[in-house]
Amino acid sequence: MSREAYQIPTSQQGNAPGSGTNLSRTFDTEGATMNYICGDCGFKFALRRSDTIRCKECGCRILYKERTKRYEDNENTT
Amino acid sequence: MAPKSTSTSWDHQYNTLRREDLFRNPPTDHSAYPLLQQAVNPHIESFDALFADDGLLARGLADIGTRVFLDGDDRTPLESRNRLSVRYKSVHLQRSLLPPANKFATKREILPAECRERHVSYRGKLSAVLEYRINDEDPKEFVREIGLLPIMVKSSHCHLRGNSPAQLVARKEESEELGGYFIINGIEKIIRLLLMNRRNFPLAINRPSFTNRGPAYTPFGIILRSVRPDETSQTNVLHYLNDGNVTFRFSWRKNEYLVPVMMVLKALVETNDREIFEGLVGSPDSKGIQNTFLTDRVELLLRTYKTYGIYTMSQTRAYLGEKFRPVLGVPDNLSNYEVGTEFLRRIVLVHLGNINVTDEQDSDKFRLLLLMIRKLYALVAGDCAVDNPDAVQNQEILLGGFLYGQIIKERLDELISSGLRLGLREYFRKAPSRSFTSDEFTRDFPIKVFQKTNENVGNALEYFLSTGNLSSPSGLDLQQVSGFTVVAEKLNFLRFISHFRMVHRGSFFAQLKTTTVRKLLPESWGFLCPVHTPDGSPCGLLNHLAHKCKIMTESVDAATIPQLAAELGVVDTSSAATDESVVVMLNGRILGWCKPSESRRIADTFRYWKVEGSHGIPLQLEIGHVPASNGGSYPGIYMSAEPARMVRPTKYLPLEKEDFVGTLEQPYMSIACAEQEIVSGESTHVEFDPTNILSILANMTPFSDFNQSPRNMYQCQMGKQTMGTPATALAYRTDNKMYRLQTGQTPVVRSPLHNAYGFDNFPNGTNAVVAVISYTGYDMDDAMILNKSAHERGFGHGTIYKTKKYTLKDESRSKSTKNVTKLFGFAPGSTVKAWTQTMLDEDGLPHVGRAVQEGDVIFAYHTVSADYSGNLVNRDGVTKYEKYKDSEQAFIEEVRIIGSELGNEPAQTISIKFRIPRSPIIGDKFSSRHGQKGVCSQKWPAIDMPFSESGIQPDIIINPHAFPSRMTIGMFVESLAGKAGALHGLAQDSTPFRFDEDNPAADYFGHQLMKAGYNYHGNEPMYSGITGQELAADIYIGVVYYQRLRHMVNDKYQVRTTGPVVATTGQPIKGRKRGGGIRVGEMERDALLAHGTAFLLQDRLLNCSDYTPTWVCRKCGSFLSVQPTVTPFGGKKKVVNTVRCRNCARRLDQIPGVEVSKLKGEIWEDGQGNQWVGGEETTKVAVPGALKYLDVELAAMGVKLRYRVDSKDVIRKGRLIQKTPEGVGLNNKHLPALVGAEA
Repeated sequence: MSREAYQIPTSQQGNAPGSGTNLSRTFDTEGATMNYICGDCGFKFALRRSDTIRCKECGCRILYKERTKRYEDNENTT
Repeated sequence: MAPKSTSTSWDHQYNTLRREDLFRNPPTDHSAYPLLQQAVNPHIESFDALFADDGLLARGLADIGTRVFLDGDDRTPLESRNRLSVRYKSVHLQRSLLPPANKFATKREILPAECRERHVSYRGKLSAVLEYRINDEDPKEFVREIGLLPIMVKSSHCHLRGNSPAQLVARKEESEELGGYFIINGIEKIIRLLLMNRRNFPLAINRPSFTNRGPAYTPFGIILRSVRPDETSQTNVLHYLNDGNVTFRFSWRKNEYLVPVMMVLKALVETNDREIFEGLVGSPDSKGIQNTFLTDRVELLLRTYKTYGIYTMSQTRAYLGEKFRPVLGVPDNLSNYEVGTEFLRRIVLVHLGNINVTDEQDSDKFRLLLLMIRKLYALVAGDCAVDNPDAVQNQEILLGGFLYGQIIKERLDELISSGLRLGLREYFRKAPSRSFTSDEFTRDFPIKVFQKTNENVGNALEYFLSTGNLSSPSGLDLQQVSGFTVVAEKLNFLRFISHFRMVHRGSFFAQLKTTTVRKLLPESWGFLCPVHTPDGSPCGLLNHLAHKCKIMTESVDAATIPQLAAELGVVDTSSAATDESVVVMLNGRILGWCKPSESRRIADTFRYWKVEGSHGIPLQLEIGHVPASNGGSYPGIYMSAEPARMVRPTKYLPLEKEDFVGTLEQPYMSIACAEQEIVSGESTHVEFDPTNILSILANMTPFSDFNQSPRNMYQCQMGKQTMGTPATALAYRTDNKMYRLQTGQTPVVRSPLHNAYGFDNFPNGTNAVVAVISYTGYDMDDAMILNKSAHERGFGHGTIYKTKKYTLKDESRSKSTKNVTKLFGFAPGSTVKAWTQTMLDEDGLPHVGRAVQEGDVIFAYHTVSADYSGNLVNRDGVTKYEKYKDSEQAFIEEVRIIGSELGNEPAQTISIKFRIPRSPIIGDKFSSRHGQKGVCSQKWPAIDMPFSESGIQPDIIINPHAFPSRMTIGMFVESLAGKAGALHGLAQDSTPFRFDEDNPAADYFGHQLMKAGYNYHGNEPMYSGITGQELAADIYIGVVYYQRLRHMVNDKYQVRTTGPVVATTGQPIKGRKRGGGIRVGEMERDALLAHGTAFLLQDRLLNCSDYTPTWVCRKCGSFLSVQPTVTPFGGKKKVVNTVRCRNCARRLDQIPGVEVSKLKGEIWEDGQGNQWVGGEETTKVAVPGALKYLDVELAAMGVKLRYRVDSKDVIRKGRLIQKTPEGVGLNNKHLPALVGAEA
């Protein structure tokens, strides 16, 4: 192995370099499917990136993004 | 059990459970706070008046009338041209609904909350029904859609009209949603109330600028603002000329016209000189005939008119018609006589008849014009005083809805006059062979012709609301063209509600140098609040209505008045002598005349009947009885039943019933302020409550009668700047910026109105234990010490919500690009760095709840284009990011994805709400409710705070010096009352004017304190928190309601050492936002000088500013001639090692017979490869960059500056040795300096 091709091993061994979650990531064509909440009826449903923005139940034109379930480290708040 | 109706009566108590219940279960019948709705109602009612049957617009359409167009060209005889007549039949406004193209939505209505959330306008479809006929054929109807018109929230065309609080909450509104505003691009806008001249009332004016009209003009005039039934107005003015003549002036489409008044008189009715003479002076046997001043002038008036040689009514009308035909825009087929009639209809005293004017109405106009002339002569003779146009007595209010209607009417008028004319002209230009009767035209009209006109009336109104600018060809008889609308900011609820009670005098008066218009006049009593006006430039121009003041929004029925007046002895004959006969007028129409002695009896009778409710006289009728006086206001009985008047309730003593008093009548009445002030035989009325004169906000100041008045004004300002509770439907609001107090409380000390207006739903401050003591020195100069533990318990903790709208669409106004070119999210196949990955969710939008810092990415997007099958594909694989730009940490509170109205677009717009926590820090501003503001100077640890014998320590310490000069005794009383209230668990009533010398407030609350075992005076022995020793003096300590103001250091601090500079001067740029410096101005410089702090001065003015090390030539003293030498050996480093003066050097190839070895000094090269020698006397000096700039600028003007770097370079004193110049241009170094730096 030449010196240029050598990569520093990361904690997540076995992932193909460049495609994993370690440094960068690529997205597929469809985009992620995410859940949104209707602004009128409160119905929760999945939507893809290029989908039209309206509630699947009532046709409402405002959708709210769900509150994240991820742990937010907000310790360093003033 | 039938549900009980929600109670609407409130006392000053806490009513905790009742409010809790109201909050949890919003009433399903009506609001518990009707007063709030009443405060806003004038706005809503004025809007409702537009679209009702026989509403203002319907009347406006009648005034617009029929427009007639002729085909063919001007050369063809009139008889052979066809006529096309077009008129409006009606105008309809739909509610705000989804367009039918949207097939997805189940609910069709667009609610105001959706408009706010989607940042769009709340509007409904406006359509007009028109009718046309060609020649005398049968008329045909057609309908045009004329755009989407913004709708006032809670008006008759709003979905929220009549909704119960429970329904409102379900529709994402406040439970007490008031309406009265428009939603334009998600922002709430209101049309300001404007003060106008009182309508249909001749005002006697002495205005020096009248003399500018022409040579003979004098300052005297009579102004009458005549208002049509559709609320549009036309001002008529009579001018007095110094020869005794009178001219009639009016404005039409922004141009002024002057007509001899005699011509107008003769055109109105068939009359003769005798009739006019007797109409002005009186019958030959009356006293008026003895007034030679008057008779002389009337004679002259009649004689000078003879020169026109026009005698009959038809002659005069034809003459006027001929002159005004080009101005009025009438069709060619009208005769001059008809145009003259049209002139009278549209311009002269329009309130007396402007549609199908009858002979009787013309005679009314004639008689009113005579009265105006009579009043003018009386004014000139000094028999009557001028009327003050700045007094509320002679004013009324232009309501937002009415103004809105005026603009709609004008737009509609424009559409079928000039708009349609252009459309027709265009049509016939393309097809000149056609005529109105041709088949093609009948096929093409109206659709093809109207397509060419700009018929979007709704858009014009939306523009008006969003900018506040009036673009109108006629000017609408207004004195300003901008500033009609304001944003109804929901900073806190007090500010929001104040917007609706705000009355502006007009931006024209803001530029006026004289301050007379700003004066607080006694006439304003009870109508405009004397306290609630801002200080500074809008002081006195921007007033607020007293909270009981009402604005009439429709005419009351006064049909019985003329008959009753006749029965009471009002006759037709009159005389110019006001001690013989005075006028009786109703709505600007002369009913007749009566003797001055009888006028009081008539007025009193009418008033008795009106309060009694008998004889069909409405309660809100205004009966302005101006008694005859010696040189006072022109006497008469001026009755008014019209809208736009201010009225207020008082108690009528003879019947002990409520009467409504108007602005014109009030100065001539005796209204006692309190029961004990009633003077028998003189007072006719008594106030229901002295606090009725105060605005809603001024009523919220506790014990305001104990304060020095300016302090109450300051409180009215600060109450509106408080960080409070703007709304309860916070989650559905998308205001650009909202302030919220996390720990709001209900004040212990408040008036019953606090509850009646429901202000507990929007708490605006916190009750704080306040000690008045000079404790650490950190409370000097209006600083206050905050108890650190109070702060930690959440005292004054606030939050700012900022909403930002991000759209991927082009914001350009053109409709060209409707396709989707960008999408949110990461581009497929693009690599995304891990650190952005953690910041954004998989859809490229931020995690809701995440903290963002400056420079963080908040969303990702990429470009797309449609492929062959219409799918949107990204082709470049590049993901772009939007960054968070504010310097302060914020949290993502909400992320809204906004769809299009048709529901057929992918995500193009998002709206992100950021939450910025703001706990109080040093430098934040607080205030009590008595204009006592202060800045937090320290958060003092609780263990070091002084404490009382019961172990209480203050939340806030303020300095005693805050009181003597400001005299805010109300704050002492509040402190006392608050303390007693807190000890006993009571809410304290703080209504002003409840205590007096016999029952002092201090005594009342002192006894309460005594009962609780405290000192009667509110003082307590206290102990130092540091030493534990008792303080030498007893400390005044109590509970005061404190407001946290929105001015916070975090938005204000400005500091820099280095940073961006202005390119030309090198000095720091201006502005906090851009990291600029704060100016050390002249006065600051003086202070530094005076202190002798030279080093500091140099640091501020030079080193931290435009310090520039500069090369200068010592010999010629110039910055501009020096240049760095260039080494001939190239080399990449650009190190300036030698600098030479080009001016003092000599070029080698220009020295004749040069011998390199004999030259003194080194040879150097410039950038062009020329070799030079000499010019070595350069040196480096530190100068301000601005000086170099000045040098360059002066050089451009041919002025040379010369600097003496050293004292050695001083020019020899004495006579200058003048040498002959060798030539003007390059080498003029022998010329003496024109301007030297020697000074």
